Amino acid sequence: MAEPTMADAPGPESAEFDAVVVGAGPAGSAAALALARAGRSVVMVERGPFPGSKNVYGGVVYGRVLDAIIPNWWEDVPVERWVVRRSTMMMTESQSLSIDYRTGAWGTAPYNGMTTVRSRFDTWLAAKATEAGARLLTSTVATGLLRDGDGRVVGVRTDRDHAELRSRVVVACDGVNSFLAKEAGLLPQSEASHYTLGVKEVLSLPREVIDERFGVQGHEGVDIEILGCTRGIPGGGFLYTNTDTVSVGVVASLPHLAEARIRPEELIADLKEHPSIAPYLRGSSLREYAAHLIPEGGYDTMPPLATDGMMLAGDSAAMTLAAGMWLEGVNFAIASGYAAGQAVDRAVASGDCTASGLASYRADLERQFVLVDHKRLRKAPALVLSDRVQQRYPGLLCDLAEGMFTVVNPAPKPGGLRVTRNAAAKHGVKLRELAADTLRGLRIFG
Amino acid sequence: MNDPRFTHVGPLVVACLRITDLRPEVDPLTGAVARDAQGNGLSAADAAALELSLRIAGVWSGRVVALAVGPPAIDPVLRDVAALGVTVLRVSPETVDPDRGYAAELADDEQRLARTIVASLVPYGPPDLIVCGDRSTDRGTGALPAFLAHQLGAVQALGLVALTPDDTVTGGGRALIAERRLDAGWRERLGVPLPAVCSVEGAGVRLRRASLGGALTAAAAPVPVNGISPADRPEREEAIPAVRIGPTRVFEPRARVLPAPESTDPRVRLLALTGALVAHDPPTVIGPVGPSEAADELMAFLVRHGYLDPTDPEQAGTSGKGTGR
Repeated sequence: MAEPTMADAPGPESAEFDAVVVGAGPAGSAAALALARAGRSVVMVERGPFPGSKNVYGGVVYGRVLDAIIPNWWEDVPVERWVVRRSTMMMTESQSLSIDYRTGAWGTAPYNGMTTVRSRFDTWLAAKATEAGARLLTSTVATGLLRDGDGRVVGVRTDRDHAELRSRVVVACDGVNSFLAKEAGLLPQSEASHYTLGVKEVLSLPREVIDERFGVQGHEGVDIEILGCTRGIPGGGFLYTNTDTVSVGVVASLPHLAEARIRPEELIADLKEHPSIAPYLRGSSLREYAAHLIPEGGYDTMPPLATDGMMLAGDSAAMTLAAGMWLEGVNFAIASGYAAGQAVDRAVASGDCTASGLASYRADLERQFVLVDHKRLRKAPALVLSDRVQQRYPGLLCDLAEGMFTVVNPAPKPGGLRVTRNAAAKHGVKLRELAADTLRGLRIFG
Repeated sequence: MNDPRFTHVGPLVVACLRITDLRPEVDPLTGAVARDAQGNGLSAADAAALELSLRIAGVWSGRVVALAVGPPAIDPVLRDVAALGVTVLRVSPETVDPDRGYAAELADDEQRLARTIVASLVPYGPPDLIVCGDRSTDRGTGALPAFLAHQLGAVQALGLVALTPDDTVTGGGRALIAERRLDAGWRERLGVPLPAVCSVEGAGVRLRRASLGGALTAAAAPVPVNGISPADRPEREEAIPAVRIGPTRVFEPRARVLPAPESTDPRVRLLALTGALVAHDPPTVIGPVGPSEAADELMAFLVRHGYLDPTDPEQAGTSGKGTGR
């Protein structure tokens, strides 16, 4: 039995792998898993003490992407709740209008989406990679890229005595603010308009209270996405259930947030006090507060996915889909990471780890949902974050509902067109604009 | 035996670590402690113990064995320790039950644990020095170092803030200089001969960081496990009976049956039932008195109020005046 002592340890200069994966989040672990399964030597370099230790997460993990990677993944995944109720809520300060969908089918295998704690989920996924033969190096920061005489990336420098990890390919899965991608010139140094800031609170509530208030039982969970809760700043809110906590938060456009000079926690406080949200949270106590950047720029802001000896996957490649009714990131990270790992395997096998040798990565993603969805919905972020959708339509729709549902006897009921005209006029929306946006939405989402 | 773990010549320094969840959650309602393996790590005191072990072994050209008792969930932390160039050993506990209550763990027999640890170290040879943290974050009886010293017949110096080799010793001998806090900012300096068991505070030193090569090697290496069966455990002496804690439950005092009030007048019945007309002892301050007199006063109070029966021969001995019990 090998003994883990320094006597057996290789010198730093001898540490060479087929691939170094920077970041042990969903993308990194999926990439390492693919490489390890292909028999390649791979090491994951994780900044935190364990995978997921510093990750913030404000949505639902959709597990369909795992079907082909980890058969029957739902049997041991660390799930909090299976989402069986999905609600989209538009709100003003005092109104709300919800589209609420519920199905029991999402509560049974193979499930649709789940809430999970990222520290547990990431640890679980990283364990799949290490079980397959990948190495995991925690509490280690990749501080920079190593290049050969031709400028090709040949590894990373670490913060452990500035020691180096050499590899044929570096897969940068180091998140939204990827310093390696910036150093490689793949990401701009700073472009705030490509990002939103997500902030959330995790609030403790007894499990049975969550079950009662949200109308669920057992491992059933709820995901509520909210529009119109950010004081006109482009963005949205969310509320979802974990086992014995709920997560509530907002996502707001970074430059608009800075311009408005509003603290993000004020937006959460507003949301928590809203008459449609407050009853869910009554009596809860704050357990965590967290904030994180989200790359919501979409397809048009995606960087080149590969250069000589290096690839990007997950958030570092801006692969978060923020398209109104679809807010997905982890599944895109897993799919892109796994595809990156497979592409590295092919490149190493062919002996060509240049950008052209790694080009099969993008081609692969273009055949999958990852780039198909991003490409098809490339105009969605602009529409969803537009002034009318963010600031006028939530109020317009709420007033429209109020006009239709308010009984005005003894006056006769108003017609739908009249109510729509009144609501549109109240919110400064011309019917022509409404029709144009509807058509635009149909083109994007249809 | 050619295993370098067991054939190395030089002093053996053992860092005895307690690896546990550093951030357990405590249910504010029930007090239940929930621990998560992801929070496992070394407390500041244990990190100091490991760093001092490495420094002392470095000066003496000795070897360090880092030992921890626990389930496989502590292996990642032991790998981090192994990355420092330390031989690690996990001693498998006799009971691996994640649902064991906190109170049950608190009542574990530290003497038995010390015997298990000493037995686990037999293949490595007799330790010259064992360094422990002075407290653990979850149990913290603080008794283990003393029991280890007892098992080894070693001297003990506990609660130290500094521990260094004594470079004034000549002729090939070895000893340590230790410092301990005293009140009012004073320190006492101790000369500690070997073999010794020392516990150190989590202060004054910072655990070094592993090299990349060490971290890479350790990341993929298995952690040696030594399971000690009761039959293998040397019985140095008759075991002292340990405290045992049974299942805990909410205190539910028995209902006392009171005689029904004799009167038929509702007001009188109410007064009788609430005890409003019954004379009560006012609060009494007794003392200052010595322990013996204080005990007698307490006993007298219990007898006066019927909690002790002075005619009961079994209780009479505990209530006698001036027994001082």
